[in-house]
Amino acid sequence: MNPVLAGILAVLGLTLVKATPLIYAALGGVLSERSGVVNIGLEGIMIAGAFTAVVVSGLSGSPLVGALAGVLAGAGVAALLAFAATRLGVDQIVAGTGLNIAALAAAAFGLVLIYHQPGASREVPAFGHAGENMLILLAFLAAAALHVVLTRTPWGLHVRACGEDPSAAEAAGIDALRTRFTAVVIGGAIAALGGVYLSLAELDLYSDGMTAGRGFIALAAVIFGRWTPFGATGAALFFGFFAALQYSLQRAGVPSELMQALPYLAALVALAGFAGRVRAPAADGVPYVRQ
Amino acid sequence: MFFRSRAGFLTLALVPLCAAAAGCAPKHAANGVPRIGMVTDVGGLGDRSFNDSAYAGLLRAETELHAEGTVLQSRSAADYAINMTVLANKEYDEIFAIGFLMAKDVADVAARYTKRNFAIIDAVVDLPNVTSVTFKEEEGSYLAGALAALTTKTKTIAFLGGIDIPLLRKFEAGFAAGARQIDPSVKVLVKYTGSFDDPAAGKELSGVLYDQGADIVYVAAGKAGLGAIDQAKRRSDVFIIGVDSNQDGMAPGKILTSMIKRVDTGVFRVCQEAVAHRKRSAHLVLGLKEGGVGLTDFHYTRSVVTPAKIAVLAKLRTAIVSGTIVVPSTREGLASYTRLPL
Repeated sequence: MNPVLAGILAVLGLTLVKATPLIYAALGGVLSERSGVVNIGLEGIMIAGAFTAVVVSGLSGSPLVGALAGVLAGAGVAALLAFAATRLGVDQIVAGTGLNIAALAAAAFGLVLIYHQPGASREVPAFGHAGENMLILLAFLAAAALHVVLTRTPWGLHVRACGEDPSAAEAAGIDALRTRFTAVVIGGAIAALGGVYLSLAELDLYSDGMTAGRGFIALAAVIFGRWTPFGATGAALFFGFFAALQYSLQRAGVPSELMQALPYLAALVALAGFAGRVRAPAADGVPYVRQ
Repeated sequence: MFFRSRAGFLTLALVPLCAAAAGCAPKHAANGVPRIGMVTDVGGLGDRSFNDSAYAGLLRAETELHAEGTVLQSRSAADYAINMTVLANKEYDEIFAIGFLMAKDVADVAARYTKRNFAIIDAVVDLPNVTSVTFKEEEGSYLAGALAALTTKTKTIAFLGGIDIPLLRKFEAGFAAGARQIDPSVKVLVKYTGSFDDPAAGKELSGVLYDQGADIVYVAAGKAGLGAIDQAKRRSDVFIIGVDSNQDGMAPGKILTSMIKRVDTGVFRVCQEAVAHRKRSAHLVLGLKEGGVGLTDFHYTRSVVTPAKIAVLAKLRTAIVSGTIVVPSTREGLASYTRLPL
């Protein structure tokens, strides 16, 4: 094969690999934020998904069972955020940050309890190449499904109404608190797949800090993608592309520090360029308290 | 027993508590048992590499010197000084800072706690109460590069580092020089993951290197190396060279060898000095000669690492130990390095 063509194909393939965990996390963020709950806990949800998936895959011998457990764990962690946000009316940024710290620490503690070694788990049964490709494909299907749900279903309309004006939504007979709760929990289940992808599809183990800030990049993708499923997916692909590009071009005469900063520089430029035109859901991050 | 604090917020919470409660400070070296504290860097335990090797040294000190050890792990760079201060306040006899990232914090804390002894791995801190332990990674890496050049079928080998800093460039320069010594036509690709704790990045980048034609990748990137090993396991006809600890058994037959850096030996030797109350070394430099670096015994790769290759490596080793070969430790040194006729 032509080496240039091979190089381009390699970058595109790596773009998908880099973007997939971001897409899942960003989709979870979109659903949560469209209902009015800022989800800064995406990183923690990914950690919960990645860790639980590895533990359960190791115990059951089945990566599929592990993945399902990871999704449930993500939903569980998201439920904590949802409870704090809807029933307790706490500051969502603080609650999400707390979840991130707690999830990281709980997983670290879990490693010692379960594997009797700190830092990283042992290798467990994982998805092969076929499974990895399925999860990549599923990310795009999830984006399409979320788009349809948000724009074409009554529940999607309810979610968006709660994100714009929960009082008006309640006046129209929607249970805003329940809608938000459900949206955040389902969003957590989706975001957890990003962690599952990392630990069971790309790798076959959990190690402390392995999400390496992807949850926060996904948050940027939510904003860059203007709180829409397709927008967030595009943003995740954009970040993934620049990460893949820097992998390939590194040491081609350009200092590696500069190349490693490329995805973040691209994000900065993109966000600054779009800043004037993005508009968050009006009630995003505003706790709703029934009068 | 080991008390493992995972996060800075935990230790942060401990400081005011101890400051407030009288008698909180634990027994002073009860019945003469030496108390040895260790603070790991953000890479942390479980890397089966650098930090775990340091931990092994501490465990050895516990068994052989009957020391009492404690490890505090750091979640972020902000935890280094806090963790060291906690140990200093608890009257530990020797406090280890594992990793060059902590050099500045060791200098700060050691200057404040002049009655405590500190040791730092991989960096030099010039204070009377600090022992610096550094390694000649370039020497072990040179042997790894020579073995890779002797073994490659694609005439292309690669180095995958963590963060592009002078410490990692010692590995890079030694590896490339060793390859050049064997065969100047062997191409050496070089990439950096940009972090030590992202195994996915290690897997992706090692994949890029294999795709670019390398059939042997030498990875010195902390936990990112776990991903690179996973990548090698999924491919045929490729090898990984492990680092710091003996990683050969993690993927038998796929790990050509590991460049062992005896961080455990460094830690243990400092512990010995601490226990014996000997005059403490200011700076321990551990190279091939001192047994501080070296390759494994090729337990799983004997079919590839033939006696002829082992003989070549032994010859190079002798030349380095005797000073005939001076291995470059920087890119500048590598540029001017010419192979010696042996």
